[in-house]
Amino acid sequence: MSAIVIGVPSKGRLQEESAAVFARAGLNLESAGAARSYRGRIAGMPGVEIAYLSAPEIAREIGAGAVHLGITGRDQVEESIPDWKSRAELLVPLGFGRCDVVVAVPRAWIDVEGMEDLDDVAGDFRPRHGRRLTVATKYVNLTRRFFAGHGIADYRIVESLGATEGAPASGAADLIVDITTTGETLRANGLKVLADGVILRSEAHLVRSLVAKTDTKQAKALEAVVARLRG
Amino acid sequence: MTRDYAPLRALFTDAGYAFVEPPLLFDASVFVELAGEDLRRRLFLSTAADGTELALRPDYTIPVCLQHLASGKARRRANYAYLGPVFRQRRDEPGEFLQAGVESLGRTDRALADADMLKLALSAVATLGVAAPAVRIGDSALFAAVLQSLDLAEPWRRRLARAFGDRDRLKALLARLASGAKAPALPDGVPAGKPAALRRAVSDMLLATGLATVGGRDAGEIAARFAEKAELARGNRHAPKVLTKFLAIAGAPRRAAAAVRRLAAAEKLDLDAALGDFETRLDNFARDRLDLSKLAFAADFGRRLDYYTGFVFEMYGREDKKPIVGGGRYDRLLSLIGAGGPVPAVGFAIWLDRIGAAR
Repeated sequence: MSAIVIGVPSKGRLQEESAAVFARAGLNLESAGAARSYRGRIAGMPGVEIAYLSAPEIAREIGAGAVHLGITGRDQVEESIPDWKSRAELLVPLGFGRCDVVVAVPRAWIDVEGMEDLDDVAGDFRPRHGRRLTVATKYVNLTRRFFAGHGIADYRIVESLGATEGAPASGAADLIVDITTTGETLRANGLKVLADGVILRSEAHLVRSLVAKTDTKQAKALEAVVARLRG
Repeated sequence: MTRDYAPLRALFTDAGYAFVEPPLLFDASVFVELAGEDLRRRLFLSTAADGTELALRPDYTIPVCLQHLASGKARRRANYAYLGPVFRQRRDEPGEFLQAGVESLGRTDRALADADMLKLALSAVATLGVAAPAVRIGDSALFAAVLQSLDLAEPWRRRLARAFGDRDRLKALLARLASGAKAPALPDGVPAGKPAALRRAVSDMLLATGLATVGGRDAGEIAARFAEKAELARGNRHAPKVLTKFLAIAGAPRRAAAAVRRLAAAEKLDLDAALGDFETRLDNFARDRLDLSKLAFAADFGRRLDYYTGFVFEMYGREDKKPIVGGGRYDRLLSLIGAGGPVPAVGFAIWLDRIGAAR
């Protein structure tokens, strides 16, 4: 039987917190060989393989069915998996990795308090400036859905790879959609969150793939791990 | 499925439309700038070696208009026809599919051109075996005229005009207009009624946050809109009532026109020009022996693309939820892609892939 695959964050705070989740469930993660391996095991569970991946990769692989179960942020699930509700199930919120995905505009835009104002600004932007209003973000899909939900069509996304919060000051975009925890970074960059601009309140979740295939034995192994992690 | 499109081609050619075949691949920003971010998720995108984002054409209208602009004076008269593949990400339908249609550019006899277009579209679907499609018609110029003749703050006119074509959104906006909102609070230390002080305060904030020198919204624009917002916040009970009545008008076009006229008289709205155009168009339909009672007008029917400026229509097969033809007047499109002024333009596209089911 081939192993079921569990995606675990490979770096930073998320990795530490995830390791603690497994430890509390009495599951010991062992590395498969070399110290810095990207594959691992759970002691005493031969049918389970651990894949150390970045949080966005875990979401994508769950959506593609290559990873059965994983720990990743809700923001990643909703952003990276097309039609996510049919492909993934958020099993348990884990209480860490908390962040909000928000719409933030320059603080000097004193006339813009909510999405409705942004709609006005977007609608007038092209006639005034000869180009569309631009939004820098890594969260392209969340942004599109949220803006469409508010009836805003007159804008363009500029995909951001690095520090999104710097985009307005560098002239790369007029406003941003990004994650924030305390709002400190946004404030330091002269930005403010719109009153109704919280797209998503996210935290790390135990996430199950609804599209990864399992045979009976694998399904059993998966259930066993889920039951332990649910506590 | 293969089908014989020779009769359709002959129809367009005989009507004076020259077949063109623009490129498949375009700089994606052409489409995104025109149709907005929402279109981007429906595009098939790729990246060139130099980083330019490229898209397969999602329709023919924009490519044909670009070709028109590149090959001569924008305002010259030209009649184009097309039949070929276009590419869109669609949920339950293939991403590559065939469209056929025409674009008529530069005709200043708009009411006649509109009628010609509807007639040609009906003949076109007839060659494909659809004898009596359901036809919906609308006219965003009528809505614009109602907005213009009501006592409304200008930003509200723009808001409502942008939402035209989206029933739910328009309804929500009208409710907001009726109830009014809280006026925005002035920044600390700025006295009311001092626009110069407000502009200075905004300018200082831009400077302090490093945004003073980048392009985009400047202090003047922000302060002006802030002042505008106070006006936006004031509730208006009358205009939403009139607009709601107008938007509910639907049915056979002559009766609908009469209903619009009655509303205009009762509310003292000056709709003469727009209604005149609407009725001239109907006269032309009648002269073309179109059975007007078969057309379904709806005052709230429009396309949510800001380059559509007047007459719009859609056709449906017997069982179909999705239109098999979409058409309309888009006088603003050519100026948006560089014509240097509005150019009369009207056209339609047939979703050939949907016709099989429609027959």
